[in-house]
Amino acid sequence: MRSTNRVRRSRVMVASVAVVALLASACGNGDDTTDEPDDDVEEPADDEGSDDDEGAAGDEEYDITLIPGVTGDEFYVSMECGALAASEELGVNLDVQGAPVFSPTEQIPVLESVIASEPDAILIAPTDVDALQGPLETAVEAGIEIVLVDTTLSDPSIAVTQIGSDNHEGGRMAADALGELMGGEGAAMVVNVTPGISTTDARGEGFIEGMEENWPDIEFLGQEYSDNEPAKAAEIVSATLAAEPDLSGIFGANLFSAEGAATGIRQEGRDDVFIVGFDAGPAQIEQLREGLVQALIVQQPLEIGRQGIEQAVAALRGEPTEEQIGTGFVTATLDNLDDPEIAEYLYKAEC
Amino acid sequence: MMAELREQDQAVADREAEDAQPERKRWVQMLTDSTAFIFIALLGMVVAFTVLRPEAFASVNNLRNIAIAASILLVLSIGQTFVITTAGIDISVGSVLVFSGVVAALVMAEVNGGQGWAAVLVGTVAALLAGAFWGLVNGLLITKAQLPPLIVTLGTFGGVLGFAKVLTGGINLRTVPNVLIETLGIGRLFGVIPWLVILALVITTIAGITMRFTRFGRYTIAIGSSEEAARRVGINVDRHLLKVYLVSGVLAGIGGMMSLARFTNTTIQGHDTDNLQSIASVVIGGTSLFGGIATMFGTLVGVFIPTTLQNGFVILRIQPFWQEVAVGAVLIVAVYVDQLKRRARDRL
Repeated sequence: MRSTNRVRRSRVMVASVAVVALLASACGNGDDTTDEPDDDVEEPADDEGSDDDEGAAGDEEYDITLIPGVTGDEFYVSMECGALAASEELGVNLDVQGAPVFSPTEQIPVLESVIASEPDAILIAPTDVDALQGPLETAVEAGIEIVLVDTTLSDPSIAVTQIGSDNHEGGRMAADALGELMGGEGAAMVVNVTPGISTTDARGEGFIEGMEENWPDIEFLGQEYSDNEPAKAAEIVSATLAAEPDLSGIFGANLFSAEGAATGIRQEGRDDVFIVGFDAGPAQIEQLREGLVQALIVQQPLEIGRQGIEQAVAALRGEPTEEQIGTGFVTATLDNLDDPEIAEYLYKAEC
Repeated sequence: MMAELREQDQAVADREAEDAQPERKRWVQMLTDSTAFIFIALLGMVVAFTVLRPEAFASVNNLRNIAIAASILLVLSIGQTFVITTAGIDISVGSVLVFSGVVAALVMAEVNGGQGWAAVLVGTVAALLAGAFWGLVNGLLITKAQLPPLIVTLGTFGGVLGFAKVLTGGINLRTVPNVLIETLGIGRLFGVIPWLVILALVITTIAGITMRFTRFGRYTIAIGSSEEAARRVGINVDRHLLKVYLVSGVLAGIGGMMSLARFTNTTIQGHDTDNLQSIASVVIGGTSLFGGIATMFGTLVGVFIPTTLQNGFVILRIQPFWQEVAVGAVLIVAVYVDQLKRRARDRL
């Protein structure tokens, strides 16, 4: 009897501890955020006459939420940094919400919750061209301005603007970088991620097109898919090297594809095979410094984030916006990595 | 024998507690019963989020969104509840869902140009058959080849998704009839209750009745309690386990159609963690991972906890990574409460 009493008491304790823990975790981050949403209850972002509690500038303070394709990815973190910098300049309350997996099944619930929190604008990298269309239309109906960053929709006309890099062009730049490294001869292949991702598909197509047009003497061995697993990319590359000793150039369409390709080359004991990678997160830069990869095609996520906020604010103020904005690329190599004009484009793991 | 078994294991915790110590106050039992505990936790969350952002969280639209977000996972978790009650596990649910969706999309593309109710009907049959097929494969490997459920379904988890990708070349199919998207996907009964939610709740209700009041449910619980005892009282354990995995497969097939309707494509990459999410929901709800204790109502609550947390955290503008931390903490607390309950019972 006594023992069951003790058990019972400890159970009640567990229950209360759990509830407290939940509340604590719910409030832990709340102090800097919970007070501000109350403001916009009173004044739901009407364009005039709500300046009474805004400070010095007299500017409207907007609530904008950025929803990246996936959380914790350096490309998107850099985009967030750009958005944050622009937000500070323009007096925007920026919030970032996202899912840990790049998929509409995870992103749509997040988006719907964001819509319920009634921001003035949403910057989003849609994880599917069709699946996100309906939920984003709901947001537009609720009076929220939409800016598409990085990826896009089947019908982007509901958005203020779409901002991103032309991945097809990035693929062509990769072909040129690789062609130069290879001296215009030998055989080349692409290690891509998985079919069906619009950005990496475009990179692969652009690369193939660039090879055919500008490097006719390089034999193209085709495109393989790593499923974003370095081990699989390594297997593909070492098997290809065994079958085609002429292979001397590889385009790794994303981080893990390039990393796995480098592993495969090392396994085979070859040091005459060049790799061009894509994106410039800390891991890729490390690859470049170690000599595993000889060139990186670098996007400009900071720029995408910055312009995204600027366009959103312009739309909220009723100022003119641009329908589509393409941001460019730079090619980073070991030689130019530390030049300021290249270094400013390298991605960041935190702002 | 059978009666004893039932008395010992089928009853939910509060009934046991009542039998053992009739003088115990009802609210104490409520709080310590893990399903009631988790239900109170859910209510606590709802109250907390409502107090903090009433206009955003407690709006009809938002609550509807939470229910929609939970609906597909709920259907998978219902199947998972049956499986876990037998002390088994089904890691393959998300892959079977994707495979069923892919088969349905392929078949629907061939009917009437991929549009109309005829296509939906044929696609639904195809999805159910595809789900049933993999459920049977799981069940046969577990009962006839006598392999552990964890290993069998881990194998089919990878293999079935592989087959789905083989069928599509890895690319998401988009041949989903508009009528399906407009009704099941975004339609609502009387313009209020989404069809996805109704479907999930109907399935949950049927499953709850089945588990509590039918021979199928009693057998499921008896096998989870003690497979050997169930065998000795004359239950055809193999045949019943086969049926349980079949049910899980068929429900994943239904989930496949729901996913097509909601996401308008086969979302091949989007269901890798459905298995873990459904297992977590079932366990959070109070069904024992060691078998023999089942609660469909608990599963319903268990599915809503992570969904509500995620929604509320986004609305409160809390850093997204905290959601994962919070859901993990809830899972561990729920299992701990379950353990305490079992230890207490074993002492009686």
